Amino acid sequence: MFGWFTFVLVVVVGLWLYAIRRAPEPVSKARARQVQNRWILWGGLVLPITSMAVILAFGVPAGHQMLPLPPAEGKALRINVTAHQWWWEVQYPDSGIQLKDELHVPAGVPLDLHLTSADVIHSFWVPRLGGKLDMLPGRTNVLRLQADEPGTYRGQCAEFCGTHHAHMKFTVTAYSPEDYQAWLREETVND
Amino acid sequence: MTPSPFHPINLVLGLIIWALWFVLLYGGLSIGCAFAPPDAGDGAWTWINAASLVVALMVTGYLLTCAYACWKASSPSSAAKAQPLNTFISKTSAAVYLVSAVASLMLVLPGVRLPPCV
Amino acid sequence: MTNLSEEANCKREAQLEHVWGNLPGWGALAAVNHTSIGFRFMATGMIFFLIGGVLAMLIRTQLAMPEQEIIEASLYNQIFTMHGTVMMFLFAIPVLEGVAMYLVPKMIGTRDLVFPRLSALGYYCYLFGGVIILSSLVLEVAPDAGWFMYTPLSSNTYSPGPGSDFWLLGITFVEISAISAGVELVVSILRTRANGMALNKMPIFCWYILAMALMIVFGFPPLILGSVLLELERAVGFVFFETSGGGDPLLWQHLFWMFGHPEVYIIFLPAAGIVSTLIPVFARQPLVGYRWVVLGIITMGFVSFGLWVHHMFTVGIPQLAQAFFSIASMLVAVPTGIQIFAWLATLWQGKVVFHLPMLWIVGFLVVFVCGGLTGVMLALVPFNWQVHDTHFVVAHLHYVLVGGMLFPLIAGFYYWLPHVSGRMPSDKMGRWGFWLFFGGFNTTFLLMHLTGLLGMPRRVYTYEAGLGWDWLNLISSIGGFIMAIGVAVIIVDIVLHFRFGRRAEQNPWGADTLEWAIPMPVNAYNFSSMPDITTRHPMWENPELVESIAAGEHGLAEVQSLRRDIYGSDAVTGKVREVVHLPTNSWLPLMTATVLAVVCVSLLIKAYLIALAAAAVALVLVLRWSWENGAHPRAAPVGTNDPVDPPLHSRTCDGPGLWGMVVSLMANGTLYVSLLFGWFYLWTAAPQWSTPETSPLALIPLAASGILLTLAVMIYHGAVSRLRKRNAGSLGLRLWLASAIGFTHWCLLAWVLQTSSLQPTELAHDAVLTVALYYLLLHSGLAMIFTVLQALRVQRGYVGSSLPYEPIVIQPFWVYTLGVFWLSFAMFLLLPMAWGAP
Repeated sequence: MFGWFTFVLVVVVGLWLYAIRRAPEPVSKARARQVQNRWILWGGLVLPITSMAVILAFGVPAGHQMLPLPPAEGKALRINVTAHQWWWEVQYPDSGIQLKDELHVPAGVPLDLHLTSADVIHSFWVPRLGGKLDMLPGRTNVLRLQADEPGTYRGQCAEFCGTHHAHMKFTVTAYSPEDYQAWLREETVND
Repeated sequence: MTPSPFHPINLVLGLIIWALWFVLLYGGLSIGCAFAPPDAGDGAWTWINAASLVVALMVTGYLLTCAYACWKASSPSSAAKAQPLNTFISKTSAAVYLVSAVASLMLVLPGVRLPPCV
Repeated sequence: MTNLSEEANCKREAQLEHVWGNLPGWGALAAVNHTSIGFRFMATGMIFFLIGGVLAMLIRTQLAMPEQEIIEASLYNQIFTMHGTVMMFLFAIPVLEGVAMYLVPKMIGTRDLVFPRLSALGYYCYLFGGVIILSSLVLEVAPDAGWFMYTPLSSNTYSPGPGSDFWLLGITFVEISAISAGVELVVSILRTRANGMALNKMPIFCWYILAMALMIVFGFPPLILGSVLLELERAVGFVFFETSGGGDPLLWQHLFWMFGHPEVYIIFLPAAGIVSTLIPVFARQPLVGYRWVVLGIITMGFVSFGLWVHHMFTVGIPQLAQAFFSIASMLVAVPTGIQIFAWLATLWQGKVVFHLPMLWIVGFLVVFVCGGLTGVMLALVPFNWQVHDTHFVVAHLHYVLVGGMLFPLIAGFYYWLPHVSGRMPSDKMGRWGFWLFFGGFNTTFLLMHLTGLLGMPRRVYTYEAGLGWDWLNLISSIGGFIMAIGVAVIIVDIVLHFRFGRRAEQNPWGADTLEWAIPMPVNAYNFSSMPDITTRHPMWENPELVESIAAGEHGLAEVQSLRRDIYGSDAVTGKVREVVHLPTNSWLPLMTATVLAVVCVSLLIKAYLIALAAAAVALVLVLRWSWENGAHPRAAPVGTNDPVDPPLHSRTCDGPGLWGMVVSLMANGTLYVSLLFGWFYLWTAAPQWSTPETSPLALIPLAASGILLTLAVMIYHGAVSRLRKRNAGSLGLRLWLASAIGFTHWCLLAWVLQTSSLQPTELAHDAVLTVALYYLLLHSGLAMIFTVLQALRVQRGYVGSSLPYEPIVIQPFWVYTLGVFWLSFAMFLLLPMAWGAP
């Protein structure tokens, strides 16, 4: 996508500069009209419309995967996240675990994050895992994410939410399935 | 009631229809999903998507007829009214109708692939 | 003989100058002339630009290094909020309005805009509103919830200080100026073009401005409504955006972006108009594809209203609905593409003369196309989810706004400088300024795309070291300062040129449009006589216009009865239909704006009684203003030598005032439709929407009051129909009767409101109903007062069978009031009942 757009940018600018430099011979009116219409038709209509078609052809299916539709196999792990000014309340409804500012998840399992807010609008975002979704008071939005590899991922609030917005961060720790079970046991025992 | 192809209202009428269609589509989708949501598992082939596709085809067809009427009125054969101002209005209007027709159809294209309410 | 006629011509022009000029000394504050007002808009806007720029420098200083503590969080939040607010509301829109106000009458061959006092009022509202908003920064209570003020962050609970109030009240005040400029430009372009300037002969710039002005008319009301509702929520606790009472914070986002996205195009269109004007001049070749470009302008004007939701892709809207907006957002690329390639084809076919303005145009192209392409990427939903609210968006919006607005604007400044000063700008220093600015801009923002892709969110006052953002931010900050130096060079260049610039000859760039037929530097009345224009390129095809206009060989060369006269023409063909007499210098705009500023400030300090009193005074002033119209001695009293063919507009049944009324009602109607939208939106989407057990309003008295209103409108309508046939028999009586019935209706409606069980502070349902009722009361009250004034004018002899104009102007207002009443009755009361709600 970036490559194609850079190409378009360079070509358009190049054509302009050439057009400015160029000193054309006078041509007949009919010929001039023909040239003009060709420019506008190809550059103004065909180019943007084909670009759009290509982008959508890739974009719409990609967006489709992010929908919280029932996954093909297994079950998505549900986690509730409630944002507060300026911290994150994390709840595992299946196991009753409560956490603050950290999520622990199994890698390779789809996650359904039920997002809401206790005060102002926040936005849940783990840049390396996928898109962001706003957290609104009075509503619950569901975000489908999946960590493919075990590891630690940074997350932060992406919607301006007041004075300490810049410091409203959290971490997502993804484990291999066995490690996740171990973590789960440890947490429930501690409770 | 169709205005004369040389009336300046044609310059905006096509896009007004497009805008109304857009509002209807967005509003209809919201209300449809609020009161009779199809199951998310059904995928794209739901009554909401089908209805929007049918209406889109109707709107597009109407706009294309308008575009054709304006275009024909501006052709040299109907030279009786071929003053530059009239030609300007009818030709530009024809293009506006055409753009509106394409735009109206394009709006529903994602409905071929996406389920309506999630 | 020639000497004598030259002397006579000098005398003639001196009289024109006397009639059209501003008052001397402090009297300049009473000026209504479009040249003066246009200048004031531009100069004030540039000062706000510098203030906004200083705020930007503070932001870049803070972000230059990680974990800096130069500016603490709460101040930083105020600074970035104010940077956005100042640049969008106090710089971009007003400056472009100023450019349009200055240029449009000159391009369409007339002497002033059609509602001169409105121009002046708009300017003062802008100035006072801007000062009020900025004063919050000095008082250190500036708004700090971001320039789009999302609730609930901007609500009373989370922003208890007066910051948000400053924003809401100040911006609404400033928007009076935008809407008044919008109305005035629409009517001027449609109704006062030079004789023979049909739609297809209009300079392309005027098409752009026409589209921009109409977009202002339809685009600003949603924000005004949103601001009013939010201020009501903050000030008296009405529920609109609070979920607990059935409100929804997303309603604010919808209302804001219904304004906010068209606004980007409101800014872009006039700037593109500058590009479309300059390129043909420097290519020595008419603009290629005039019709195509008009198509592009019209399409852009409409489509840009269909993409507001793309600012809200991450709030959890169904994906199919998002896809509509995604497609509409991409569709905008088509009209943009048409324009870019029309410009390209123009350059392709012409022999380009490269001057300083062209350099800025090329800069515009590079920066804007880049911004446009990232815009198409952002329209793609999944990509948007990733980079929304990151520095990628910051980079994108600066590319679009600076590229799409500031570059063409500066090109335009350099291009029209000789027109203003009679001197040429310096090529050398101008080039320095350009390269510093262009280089600095790209250094700042090009890499910022990457910063965003690496995950840096926007609106953070600091960031941790070691995330890969450090060097990018440092470079951006350095670039920012280079850009600032560039701005300084440009300003010095422009200031110096007034003193040292080379004298410009007439039409120095070899332009084709009519503004260059005016002597330079510009005079107060533009055209010493008003020529017929039947070509798109008058100065290329009839360069002798310069002399013939000055010699008074065309229309309206002589001043009549010390009136400011211009031609009013047919909206489509441009044929002259009437002589429009314009008001002269007046203190009323300044006085009205001052009183409105008192309203604004007293609302801020919560002195509601003073606010109410001041609002009443403002109404009186505006009514006084309307009183000095038509046959009033200060306007155009009936005389023996009144022109007959064409007649004075106040003696006809159709004039610019009627058009102004209709266009204002379009804006007003948009406001009302936004309220309806809010009603349906909350009803269907608010998570905790609830309705009261029993209907809070007494339906039968309400319907009765509606019938009274219908009766009043019928009587008024009958009076006007007879008046159109020049029958003024018992006119006064009918007008009195209509006002009396209107008054009864008003009292009944007020009684219904008074005795209702509405609980606007508990339920969003009741809050919306209350606002709707006050809206109706306001309208029928105004209609009644207007009609009483008309009845009085009949007694004074200002309205009558030969002076039918004014009651006709007011008629649409009555019809609108009636329509809104019954529509509200149906939508707010009957429909919910039919749906099963009480």
